[in-house]
Amino acid sequence: MSHVLAICGRELRSLFATPTAYVLLAFYLIFAGFVFTGSLRIFLEQVEQVQAIPQYAQYLELFANLNLRVIAPALGTFILLFIFVIPFLTMRAFSEERANGTIELLLTSPVSTWQIVLGKYLAVLCWVGIFVLAAAAFSGMLFVYGNPELGWTVAGHLGIFLLGAALAAMGCFISSLTRSPIIAGVIALLAGLLLFMLNFLAGAIENPVLAAPIRYLALENHVDKSLSGLIRLQDLVYFGVLIVLFLTLARTALESLRWR
Amino acid sequence: MIEVEGLSRRYGDVVAVSDVSFNVQRGEVVGFLGPNGAGKTTTMRMITGFLPPSQGQVAVAGHDLEAAPLDARRAVGYLPETPPLYPEMRVSDYVRYVAALKDVPRSERSEKVEKALEACALADVSRKVIGRLSKGYRQRVGLAQAIVHEPEVLVLDEPTAGLDPQQINEIRRLISALAEEEGRTVILSTHILPEVENICKRVLLISGGRIRLDGPLDEVRGTGTLEEVFLREASVG
Repeated sequence: MSHVLAICGRELRSLFATPTAYVLLAFYLIFAGFVFTGSLRIFLEQVEQVQAIPQYAQYLELFANLNLRVIAPALGTFILLFIFVIPFLTMRAFSEERANGTIELLLTSPVSTWQIVLGKYLAVLCWVGIFVLAAAAFSGMLFVYGNPELGWTVAGHLGIFLLGAALAAMGCFISSLTRSPIIAGVIALLAGLLLFMLNFLAGAIENPVLAAPIRYLALENHVDKSLSGLIRLQDLVYFGVLIVLFLTLARTALESLRWR
Repeated sequence: MIEVEGLSRRYGDVVAVSDVSFNVQRGEVVGFLGPNGAGKTTTMRMITGFLPPSQGQVAVAGHDLEAAPLDARRAVGYLPETPPLYPEMRVSDYVRYVAALKDVPRSERSEKVEKALEACALADVSRKVIGRLSKGYRQRVGLAQAIVHEPEVLVLDEPTAGLDPQQINEIRRLISALAEEEGRTVILSTHILPEVENICKRVLLISGGRIRLDGPLDEVRGTGTLEEVFLREASVG
């Protein structure tokens, strides 16, 4: 465990020693701020419109749901945001170790390949955690001025955290395949977009037998239920399988370096 | 300390190292000589556990590399041909990180890091960022990470490459001190012949993936100057 923490700690310190971390965090916070204030503004306009019509007054309470109208749509846009941001965190993970030759240090240290993979992954996961906490700060403000449901809100944030964790595992694996961080980043971005667009593809296929498995693979189909406050076992399994699969593949890719 | 038995390594169809066997005793400093592409780096990578051999066995400090890989790797300090450095890290943070990887207990880390930095004359630059150091300093940082956990065996792949004569002298003195005063076993590769004459008691000459010569320096020199021996044996492969 101490090896995992040592590798993770080095990774985090190195990220903060370069401007990448700060630029990324600034970009992320600005974007998240826009998304939240945007959905809040739309929400307020809609509430005003409903209030203007006296016969709708009885529905106002039903309509003015902060979880449904503000938090869920805002978090929904985080799916795409994560697809773009997480490759920047994962692209260097293994490719830079290979380019620097430091992979030779890791692989000749009394450290197992799993510990190397987990240390790296844990560092990226810390970042995903920071991103989700930043989003939670925006949702948290709604608790000060309104009364969203706590469970629903937590479920939504858990959903995007799991999404981020799966994208991070995929990015780490892709980074283990090449010596070039740029290539690793671009491929991780494209792979994320592909997983995202599977839903459109499924929509275009008329045969339901073919469309169902494609729809199952699509990322957002496993986030949207948690955005509506529902944590389903099948979604946990989906993300769990993705994470384990990609980390195992990353380990295999690292091991295979010994055979070249 | 180092037992190598029937070691071979193929990359696809290319045989890089073929049936190499030798033993190195505690406190010995062995010069691993050979032309470029002779199989020096491949052999060293197999001793350090980076590459698994296609055939044969390696044991380091009594630990078989296949049966007890972690114990064997813990006993080795390794300076690869390109020092494995993180350019954005500070020198002392980097050496400390390597100490953690090599299982130096937390309570001893500060002391051992300081000792390694001192030995490699890096104390003045310990807070500098590695990427801004000159090549000579970087090479010494690479050496510091190899010795920080006080390994019984040191594997140094061209430790003096790219250094100026004064720096080469310092590194040689350091290697001799490690072997003589602390009883460490050193195997170092080079194609600079005077280096071998200065610090090694024993020479291993490899060419075409095979050991051509293995003996005490004096004995090898008996058959001509080291340069003559090198050119003669290297041309065989």
